Amino acid sequence: MQQALDVVVNSFLAAGLYATMAYGLAVIYGVMRIINLAHAGIMMLGAYTTFTLFTHFSIDPFLSIVVVVPLFFAGGVALYRTVVRRLPRSGSTPSMESLLLLFGVWLVLQNLAYVLWSGDTQSILTSYTLKSVSLLGVRVGVPSLGVFGMSALSLLVLEFVLHRTYLGKAIRAVTQNRDAALLSGVDADRISAVAFGVGTAFAGLAGTLLSTLFAFTPDFGRSFLLKAFCIIVLGGLESVTGVAAGAFVLALLENVTAAYTAVPTSLQDALSFTLLVVTLVVLPQGLPGLFRLVHVRRRG
Amino acid sequence: MTSKRALEAAGMLAVAGALYFAPSFLERGTLNDLWSVALAVVLASSWNLLGGFAGQVSIGYSAFLGIGAYTTVLLALSGTPPVLTLPLGALLAGGFSVIIGYPTFRLRGPYFTIATIGVGEAVRVVASSLSFAGGASGLRMPAGSYDFESNFRSMTLLAVALVWIALAISRSAFGSALSAVRQDIDAAEALGVNSTRLKVTVHALSAALVGLAGGLFAINFQYVSPGSVFDFRLSLTIVLMPIVGGVGTVAGPVLGAILFGWLQLKLLSIPALLSSSLLIYGALLIAVMLFEPKGLLGLVRRLWARRLRRFYIDA
Repeated sequence: MQQALDVVVNSFLAAGLYATMAYGLAVIYGVMRIINLAHAGIMMLGAYTTFTLFTHFSIDPFLSIVVVVPLFFAGGVALYRTVVRRLPRSGSTPSMESLLLLFGVWLVLQNLAYVLWSGDTQSILTSYTLKSVSLLGVRVGVPSLGVFGMSALSLLVLEFVLHRTYLGKAIRAVTQNRDAALLSGVDADRISAVAFGVGTAFAGLAGTLLSTLFAFTPDFGRSFLLKAFCIIVLGGLESVTGVAAGAFVLALLENVTAAYTAVPTSLQDALSFTLLVVTLVVLPQGLPGLFRLVHVRRRG
Repeated sequence: MTSKRALEAAGMLAVAGALYFAPSFLERGTLNDLWSVALAVVLASSWNLLGGFAGQVSIGYSAFLGIGAYTTVLLALSGTPPVLTLPLGALLAGGFSVIIGYPTFRLRGPYFTIATIGVGEAVRVVASSLSFAGGASGLRMPAGSYDFESNFRSMTLLAVALVWIALAISRSAFGSALSAVRQDIDAAEALGVNSTRLKVTVHALSAALVGLAGGLFAINFQYVSPGSVFDFRLSLTIVLMPIVGGVGTVAGPVLGAILFGWLQLKLLSIPALLSSSLLIYGALLIAVMLFEPKGLLGLVRRLWARRLRRFYIDA
């Protein structure tokens, strides 16, 4: 019983982080039909920005979010305006050119980090890094709690923006049908720039949060990119709720295998890749597709 | 047309002959550089069979190099002669490509690409945790199993053979079918092309060739580890060379591989750039995608056409 509770609480905490990570990828894909392979590099850069702020100005990692989010938003908009916009626009499916272009951006970011911060493994140690508290009888690390709180907050803000503001309405409109949105007077190019900025800011935020939990190198972020991709494939792109559900399924699967099976921790990462490939092949519509299918069957 | 083909055949034979006798008159350092360029040509051209001709971009090719390399070392440790280890490594790499090909080829375009990153990562993670394969620290070849000259000849001849294979495929009905799949997979299916079988076949061929190169790689370095053969950067490099050179052509990957080999030699002499050499390739990739999607070969052709135009029309 205690073990089951452990698994649920830990999955829940991990899911918050995973959802933040995945949403950055989802918003860019939704608005532009571009798979942002540079996502991994941006998360890595977020971690290093937090690291630099922490070591040079002794700014608390959670406080550094105030700097990281606007900085990365601006960086994302700049990247869109200088590079991404020049691509021929993708149709309903993402183009290979955009994938490879952002792959190039990832390589540049990664190797820039090698030059700036060297290839050594870095980590952020604060006074509370190793402290833990008891939650429902489960020992939970203080950083994990902070990470969950920040993720939940960011997703709530996002949900509010998407559903209560004009900007959010415009983003959703372009995601659903770009041409129809254009005809209704939405400046799709400006929305794309904003969406790219939001996606980049979320990646930077995820990087900051990751840096409080894990050690990192310039090569950091690849397995998290695959996890994020797995989540948006599972959860679909239509809602924040879907992304959160996908994140929870992945986190639960990871925690269940860690607790109840003899799969060694070193093979944990292989699990999400397998889930990714299996989902892509068996369930290309993700969980929403499955729900729709069940719904239709029940009614029919 | 016939004379052009005869000229090509003569050219390839001449290159092959020169490379065969190269060990007797070139220095060891030069031979090492040539070996590296030949490996690059083999990897780039093999990848191009699937990624270029059939348009299926895979970022997981280090898996096949690694399987070839590990098979060679493991069999050599159990006393099997290289005549058997190399083909077996190629066979296993090809077989593995079929196993992962059937599920992943149901995905299209970028989705396939993402799945291949997952496959490559999964293979690396699994290889690092297998105790009989030495885990993360890798395996060493048995002592006294090394002959540089024969390894050099095998690798360079394999490179020439690959150019020939690519040329032959590009002119065959098989090549036309691949090209049809690349341009419009639904139209190709409608015309009776079994696209999945076609993709699996060309994937197996290119994986087997990469596996063969992996075996030679293991013999040359006498050591394999997950970090050396299953490295993600290796998968990246394999993709970058043909794209920068000119994807989907016969000469493009060769051009990209030679440029890559040359840059690598130049960069290795600058210590500051050693760990960040991929920075330049990343920038090259961005430039190619933005300005010349057909790669260096496309650029050369465009400049050449402009020169001809100026010569005939403006003069």
